[in-house]
Amino acid sequence: MTDMTNLTDMTTSLQTFSLLAPEIALVLAAIVAFLAGAFAGLRSGWLVALVGIAAAMALAGGQPAADAAAVAAGPVLIDAFSAYIRWMVLVLGALLALVQAGDIFSAAVSRGNSAWRGGTCEEAGTFLLLLAGLSLVGIADDLVLLFAGLELVSIPTYILLALKRTDAHGQEASLKYFFLSLVASSLFLYALTCLYGIGGSTSLATIGARLRSTDDTLVGISTVLLPVALGMAMAGAAFRLAAVPMHFYAPDVYEGTSPGNAALLSTLPKVAGIVVLLRLLGLAVTGPTQAAAVGSGAVAYVTLFWQLAAVLAAITMTVGNVMALLQQNLRRLLACSSIAHAGYLLLGVAAAAAFAAAATDPVGGQGAITVADKAWTGGLGGTTATLFYLATYALATIGVFAAITYLGHRWPEWSSGSGPRPPREEITTVDDLNGLSGTNPVAAFAITVFLLSLAGIPPLPGFWGKLSLATAALEIDWNSPITFGSRRAAFVALAVILVLNAAIAAAYYLRIIAAMYFRSTKRGVQADGGLAAGLAMLACLALVFMATAQPHGLFNAAVQAGTAVRATASTTAQPAVTDNQSQHLLAQPQ
Amino acid sequence: MNGPTPGMHLLLVIATPLIGALVAWVLGARGRHAVRQSAAVTAVITLVLTGWLIVRYLQSPEAAAGQPYATITAPWLTEGMFNIRLSLGLDGLSLWLFGLSALLSLTAVLVSWEAIVDRPVGFYVLLLVLEAAMLGVFAARDVILFYVFFEFTLVPLFFLIGIWGHDERRKAAIKFFLYTLAGSVLTFLGLLTIVLWNASHTGTVSFDIDTLTAGLAAHPLPMTADGGWLQMIVFVALFIGFAIKVPIVPFHTWLPLAHVEAPTGGSVDLAGILLKLGMYGFLRFSLPMLPDAAALAAPWLFGLGVLGIIYGALVALVQTDLKRLIAYSSVSHMGYCVMGLFALEPVAVEGAALQLVNHGLSAAGLFALVGMIYERFHTRSIANLGGIAGKAPWLAALFMLFTFSSIGLPGLNGFVGEFMILAGSFQRAWTGVSSAWQPAYLTMAVLAVVGVVLGAWYMLWAVERVLFGASREPPHAPHGHDAPGPAGDLQWYELAALLPLAVFVLWIGLVPATFLQPSAAAVRGLTSASARAFAERMQEPSTATHDRVVRLP
Repeated sequence: MTDMTNLTDMTTSLQTFSLLAPEIALVLAAIVAFLAGAFAGLRSGWLVALVGIAAAMALAGGQPAADAAAVAAGPVLIDAFSAYIRWMVLVLGALLALVQAGDIFSAAVSRGNSAWRGGTCEEAGTFLLLLAGLSLVGIADDLVLLFAGLELVSIPTYILLALKRTDAHGQEASLKYFFLSLVASSLFLYALTCLYGIGGSTSLATIGARLRSTDDTLVGISTVLLPVALGMAMAGAAFRLAAVPMHFYAPDVYEGTSPGNAALLSTLPKVAGIVVLLRLLGLAVTGPTQAAAVGSGAVAYVTLFWQLAAVLAAITMTVGNVMALLQQNLRRLLACSSIAHAGYLLLGVAAAAAFAAAATDPVGGQGAITVADKAWTGGLGGTTATLFYLATYALATIGVFAAITYLGHRWPEWSSGSGPRPPREEITTVDDLNGLSGTNPVAAFAITVFLLSLAGIPPLPGFWGKLSLATAALEIDWNSPITFGSRRAAFVALAVILVLNAAIAAAYYLRIIAAMYFRSTKRGVQADGGLAAGLAMLACLALVFMATAQPHGLFNAAVQAGTAVRATASTTAQPAVTDNQSQHLLAQPQ
Repeated sequence: MNGPTPGMHLLLVIATPLIGALVAWVLGARGRHAVRQSAAVTAVITLVLTGWLIVRYLQSPEAAAGQPYATITAPWLTEGMFNIRLSLGLDGLSLWLFGLSALLSLTAVLVSWEAIVDRPVGFYVLLLVLEAAMLGVFAARDVILFYVFFEFTLVPLFFLIGIWGHDERRKAAIKFFLYTLAGSVLTFLGLLTIVLWNASHTGTVSFDIDTLTAGLAAHPLPMTADGGWLQMIVFVALFIGFAIKVPIVPFHTWLPLAHVEAPTGGSVDLAGILLKLGMYGFLRFSLPMLPDAAALAAPWLFGLGVLGIIYGALVALVQTDLKRLIAYSSVSHMGYCVMGLFALEPVAVEGAALQLVNHGLSAAGLFALVGMIYERFHTRSIANLGGIAGKAPWLAALFMLFTFSSIGLPGLNGFVGEFMILAGSFQRAWTGVSSAWQPAYLTMAVLAVVGVVLGAWYMLWAVERVLFGASREPPHAPHGHDAPGPAGDLQWYELAALLPLAVFVLWIGLVPATFLQPSAAAVRGLTSASARAFAERMQEPSTATHDRVVRLP
């Protein structure tokens, strides 16, 4: 190597470091938390976590526009999509840190003493690493960094699960999650291997360029490798999303762990799963102006992509909601509800993939609805709707768990004549919330708002999310008739399944609301989950109301991010382009 | 007349109940009396502002020209693929229903005066929020805004029924919510399809209802096998949600439980306003936007309307509970509205639109009176009641008035509506349908007349038992209960709740033109496309064949 290339490498790595400043801040804060806990005996690790997240936010910068050139250096890539994910991670991280801090009070009460227990610094540091990993998943432009990021999400999750609860249920939960997560990670690794086999590089840009090439040699590979790669990737992502067929762990794990951990599990892994799916989808499509898959390999890829995602979406939302109808345990119920929401998210992914597939049809993109007064060519709905829905879902879900953490315990049935007062009991079942409107009206109101948003009752943010998803599904193949077995019929059916599931879901959300408002109890709720969890609940409530009245800020960010998913591959596709391909790329009007 | 700009005036009317809800919530610490007084003041202010707005509407040049009045708009979600706006305005169709919402909300507050002791703050706050949602749904000029209000009415009513209802309130609240939600989510998909169709054919994304109506008139949804029968699919999707709201038999099973278990104030709003939303939806969306599908479905829906009349009346005949009887009479009376609408004959359609207001007045009045009877005697069982006329003459007189209104006594409002519906239906049956359909139409129209007789039968039977005859005391004494309910004749607040309704019962009955004239043009305009499509469909098949034969070379 010459000095010149060394210098270039150094510049690249310096640039990489500067792009990763927020993640580096998170990791530094994690190190501070670990060291301060071990050596200085610092107890308030979650304060360090919040300071670290605030520092990362300060360094994160705004969201670039969708059509702005992506800033890429080495394996990282900053575009509107990764910026959206980074900001979502940081905001959700701040809320989750507050909820997690609340868990500590609750755990202390469960053990019968109110002293702070040690180890909060370790938890906080682990949590910060998790956030850094998740943010890296959104930024990664390389298979290795992508996988490293995913593992940096998984491993801290195991630790957090194991640290929080040490009883039999907690151990079962953490072991179950650990083993299944390993299986899912290895499946996903197989998928990445296959993608490497297709592209001959770990760079997503190169793999994308290869996938979209019109080179006929790809046809033979794609018939074997593509289904394997996609099947494995879907399975790996399905675990993180808690989608069928990798959904069955969720109720057990949520039940066994603390509410704070359940809040984490029901949001952050889902973000990772969706990011991975959308990044993989982005491989096959060109720029935002022509959201079309090009080349036989890419066409086969997106076709298989939407078919798999659509089937999984339909099954997942139905299974999740039907399972939830039968649950009495609050955390199991919310676990099933989170399965159902994974199905809604997959519907958006399927719509995005189907649009890319539709654009390659002989009728060439005539499926799109084109309007004059808007820069809207249809089909952008799929990615946008998924990303928007993800944010509204995560806010409401964290809010519910924050409220449950905040409520903490309640007094058991007890009369002064029957001996000493028994210890307080953790809130676990729907019935434990009976009469909450009388004993803690603020929490009852907040939970009601969150649940109605999850149910998609207008005008709450969940409604805007379902509106986006339904639009994305209905606009697929818009100009072709609805005939049996056609792609359009499939998506009309998915839209119908979506809204009917929303109605089914309302049944169990209403059951919780009915318990809080229509029933009464003599057993008061303690609300001993700590101020932090209460604060998180109110912050979620404020954000939900903001997204109700002014949805356009978040929605616009999601539009930019969703559009950028498509731009990624084309703006960075530089190396390893054959002559054939480069001609093809040149021939495209950009 | 000076005052705020019409748009701001309309906004103010809708905002007033919300401000009042906030005031009631703040006053909560001062106890039940302060809360209910503030709620009543809010309802009165809203009603006065509404009355003033209606007067301004009637004098406005827009109304004369058939334009929407008091339009006001602001962007809500206009990014990406959406162009959703907060657009409000009134036209001839929404005018009286808008006014009825303000009127019945005052009634709902006043009939709850003594009945609501438990958690009064929540009750009045929800009642006022519901009022804002009801006013909003009739004023919405954006399809998503309409849907938001349409759905959101469920939330306050869910709590009103579930917390302050009677014995089976929890079951009733959940059943009501889920049943109506399950239908309206499909309506939502239908409305979204209309928006997308308009966007793809006109090249502009619009959620504005008037723009959509014009767009769909220029580019109708396909009604052919090639087009996948899309218009019919969308019509069915809209129909499911609206039919459950109306409710059209056999989608009515949620209604008796919800009406009976709701507190009186909730029943008044439910029967008076919320049942009208389904019919409003048909008039606003289905008929003008999907005329071909509506024309195809019209004979069957005409028949379902008549089925509802007869079914509701027969079930009402065997009721032993006075509130259930009135609930089933609502099913029967909404059948007239459905029948009149799908007769697609201008007279019948105008009658149906008026009958919405008429039924709102009479059903609300009757539910309010049943609530007053229940507060006094703690039973709703017809067998246990009797001779109320001797004890409470005012109550009996008003009960008689609303009963006569309900059964369509000439001189009262119900007569005008029912007469127009039946006259229009016979006109349709004699002259407007093909000979193949004529026997069916005539049978249906005759059965509807039979329904009028049945309606008079069960209502007068109940009135005779409850108001007259030997004075019966219910098994358990009216004293010694926890709620300090009123005894004897109507109190001032009960009279204040009912007399405004009675005024309108007489006014509409005696001078119907005042109420028919402002809405006639709008209602005719909204149904004209469907009526035309129906007329084409009903052309004698022989002439159609003849034409084809002639055209053959």
